[in-house]
Amino acid sequence: MKKIEAVIQPFKLDEVKAALIAIGVSGMTIAEVRGHGRQKGHTEVYRGTEYAVDLIPKVKLELFVPDARLEEIVLAISSAAHTGKIGDGKIFVFPVDDAVRIRNGERGDIAL
Amino acid sequence: MNTEKQAERAHRRLHRQSLFKNCAWLAAGILLLLWMPCLAQQAPKPDPAGIATGDRTTAVDGAGNAFVVSEPTDKTAPGYEKSKKDFDEYQAQAAKEPLATKLADSVGHIRLATNFAWTLNTGYLVLFMQAGFALLTCGLVRKKNAGHLMMLNFAAYVFAFLAYYAVGFAFQFGAVAINAAPTNLGGIPTLNSFLLGSGSWGFLGGKGFFLTGPGYDSGVNVLMLFQVVFMETAGYIIVGAICERITFWAFLVAELFMGALLYPIFGCWVWGGGWLSQIGSTMNLGHGYVDFAGSTVVHAIGGFAAMALALILGPRLGKYGPDGKPRAFPAHNLVFVVTGTFILLFGWMGFNPGSTLGATDLRISVVAVNTNLAAVAGSATAMLLWYRLFGKPDITMACNGMLAGLVAITAPCAFVSATSSIVIGVLAGMVVCAGVLFNDRVTKIDDPCGAISVHGFCGWLGAVSVGIFADGTYGAGWNGVGAASYLGQAGKGVTGLLYGDSRQFLGQLFGATLCVVWAFGMTFVVFKIVNAIKPIRVSEEVEREGLDVPQFGLPAYPEDAVHASAMHATQ
Repeated sequence: MKKIEAVIQPFKLDEVKAALIAIGVSGMTIAEVRGHGRQKGHTEVYRGTEYAVDLIPKVKLELFVPDARLEEIVLAISSAAHTGKIGDGKIFVFPVDDAVRIRNGERGDIAL
Repeated sequence: MNTEKQAERAHRRLHRQSLFKNCAWLAAGILLLLWMPCLAQQAPKPDPAGIATGDRTTAVDGAGNAFVVSEPTDKTAPGYEKSKKDFDEYQAQAAKEPLATKLADSVGHIRLATNFAWTLNTGYLVLFMQAGFALLTCGLVRKKNAGHLMMLNFAAYVFAFLAYYAVGFAFQFGAVAINAAPTNLGGIPTLNSFLLGSGSWGFLGGKGFFLTGPGYDSGVNVLMLFQVVFMETAGYIIVGAICERITFWAFLVAELFMGALLYPIFGCWVWGGGWLSQIGSTMNLGHGYVDFAGSTVVHAIGGFAAMALALILGPRLGKYGPDGKPRAFPAHNLVFVVTGTFILLFGWMGFNPGSTLGATDLRISVVAVNTNLAAVAGSATAMLLWYRLFGKPDITMACNGMLAGLVAITAPCAFVSATSSIVIGVLAGMVVCAGVLFNDRVTKIDDPCGAISVHGFCGWLGAVSVGIFADGTYGAGWNGVGAASYLGQAGKGVTGLLYGDSRQFLGQLFGATLCVVWAFGMTFVVFKIVNAIKPIRVSEEVEREGLDVPQFGLPAYPEDAVHASAMHATQ
């Protein structure tokens, strides 16, 4: 079992979601987040005073998937979120020990 | 014996006669004493029901010529012959056509009714500006202080209103009938004595406290409604500069001070027939100090009081970095900012045209168009200037630019042409941009909403603009100057430097600058003392957290998920 955390451009969310649903991914959690990578944002001017916009809005997706489907899902996300420009985001993969479905106590892959 | 009796009788008669004489004197004395208050009450009676207000004496034509021709009394006066002839003619016609004079009673009443309706309704528009300002200032601050801003705007209305009702209105207009009787509203004859000063040198009005006695009158109440919402405008202007750090109690003190003293006293000098309005006749300065709808009386008073308070409070935490450079605290809701600005523009259609105090003064159309022209010119200037200076037009500065144009046209709106209105708007747009940068970078007086630049600097500019751009087409006989002719021309009104009256310009410069000194000086002294007794600024912890919860117990946006769950957790 693996956890996928993907930080993507907010405007790519719909395409990524569609791509995941198309390959039969059943669930995900998303959050609006702010952050920066290598690019470090940019500056704006408010009423004549410059301020840094170094924490740029992004969307973070969290998915928990069986090991067997990992590559396919990562590929789907990265190709749907891709523009080729700076700021496309990143995908992280973590090992997961277990999962519990709270409703009926099911454990492991079946609980995903 | 007989002679003795006769003598006694004679003595008694004499005694009786002298007693009678004494009694007669006493009775006369008592009568005189009783009559004396009647002498005082020769002053017009208040008319709470409004049924005696408006008759043939208030029936006038477009130029203000009365229907009723009064009898000339001074036989030595120049033109006595003609006045006498006019009077005789009127008497003859009135005798011939009694129905016409009866009809004139209705005409005079309807004229006042029209003006009452106009003045009240424009007053309601000005009242609505309160909502616009609440939205504008709330949108311009950080989210954590949104509730605080709403409460300040709300409490300003409530407390300043009460202060103005109790004493402020009487201080400002208690002597309005003497030099500045609003004839469009029937002249408000019951407000006719100064508390301080007299004649052309009045300093403080003295009738109409708590709207009782001479204040319990239908005409007085029209004026009260219209003027109290003007005072409220000065009251909420200060919010824009002192927000995000002032304690609630200190703000209430500021509002009571504004409604009872600071605003009404200067207002008396300019609008209540006080000394500043009379410097035309007393010092030969044009038509006296002229501020049509309050660039200074309302806006500069608010703006410079705000400046003094902001100076005492100091900048918000973190506004200036350790290097002394200003930092930006971006607006949290631009939708509020723009909506609020448009509500203010809409309300200004009451503020300026309403200041004629009557729809029978047909200059209202010119006033309304001039007001809009300056607003759009000011906004266009600020937008384009910012576009050029910083590469992007700032929405909040575009809004400030519109308000700057409005503030600057408020004093001259009735006296200038459309072209001049555009010029005044452009000037105001430049002043507000320069003012915001100047306060941010040079004086370092922290003004979150730009209130000092918009209302203070542009208010001063507006009053001075009267002395430059007034073209003489309106305001003949203003403040009792040049009723027959002015600058050698009959019907010539308030005239500025560009149209040949340099004395008016000097008067405007003097009055506007005095307003700045009065508002800033008084507020600074009073609140330095208040601050020394008890600090008027919130603690550092409160300021960092935002004032909403520490001061008012609830965030403005409790539906935020984290806030909501945190609130449940404590139950």
